[in-house]
Amino acid sequence: MMVIRRKVGQSFHIGDDVRITVLDIQQGSHVRFGIEAPAEIPVHRLEIYLRILEENLSSSSGDALGWLKGVTA
Amino acid sequence: MKTLHQVSATPSGEQNPEMAFHFPQGIAGLPGAHRFAFIYEGHGDIVCLQSLDCPEIAFLLTEWDEERLGPPPAIGDERRTCLGLAEGEEPLWMLVLNPFADKQWVTANLQAPMAINIDGRTGVQCIRPEDDLPIRYQWMEQPKQAA
Repeated sequence: MMVIRRKVGQSFHIGDDVRITVLDIQQGSHVRFGIEAPAEIPVHRLEIYLRILEENLSSSSGDALGWLKGVTA
Repeated sequence: MKTLHQVSATPSGEQNPEMAFHFPQGIAGLPGAHRFAFIYEGHGDIVCLQSLDCPEIAFLLTEWDEERLGPPPAIGDERRTCLGLAEGEEPLWMLVLNPFADKQWVTANLQAPMAINIDGRTGVQCIRPEDDLPIRYQWMEQPKQAA
C-alpha cells in the first residue's frame, strides 16, 4: 500500500482525473475527504461497496433467465 | 414517467447490440460488464438484464414499487450526468432481485437499485450511502417452477 502524508487542505491525485482533498480532522480520529472524480467513476465507502459486490455476485450466481422461463404464470 | 414495458425488452435469443443499454460505471463485482440487454419472458413485472459483454452474467429486475417502498431515492447531479438525463427528466427505478439466496423468498436489494434512462439507453446501479437499508428485502415468495 502506498502511504502519503497530507495536511488539512492538501490534496493528492489518482491518475489524471481523480483528486482527493483532506477537508478536516474531527476529534482527532475522523477524517473528512473531498473527492473530485469523473461521473463514470463511482465512489463508495468500502464496507457498503463490499456488501453490494457480494450481493451482486449472489444475484447473478444462477441461471436468471432459466429461472424466469421456469416460473409458472 | 416511463414504465418497465417501455424498456423495449426483447424475447430471449433476440438480443440486438444496437438496442443495448450502456452502464458507464459498470456493476460492482462484475468488471467488464457495461452493455446489457433487457429480456422479457412474459412473467409479470420481472425482466432479465443480460450482459452482452459477459453472457454468463444476468440479473432479474423489477420496477420500484412506490406503494410498498415509498418514493424512489433522489438522484444526484453526478448520476444524472452519467445517465445523460435531461433537466427535469426522471429515471425508471428498478430493483435487483435475488432468487438464489433464499429457498422461500425472492429478495430485493433496496440499497443498490438501478436507475435507467430509457431514451438514452443508459443505466447506473445507485449504491445508497445509508447503513440500514435491507440488502435482502423479502420481495415475493418463491413462485412454483414449471416441471
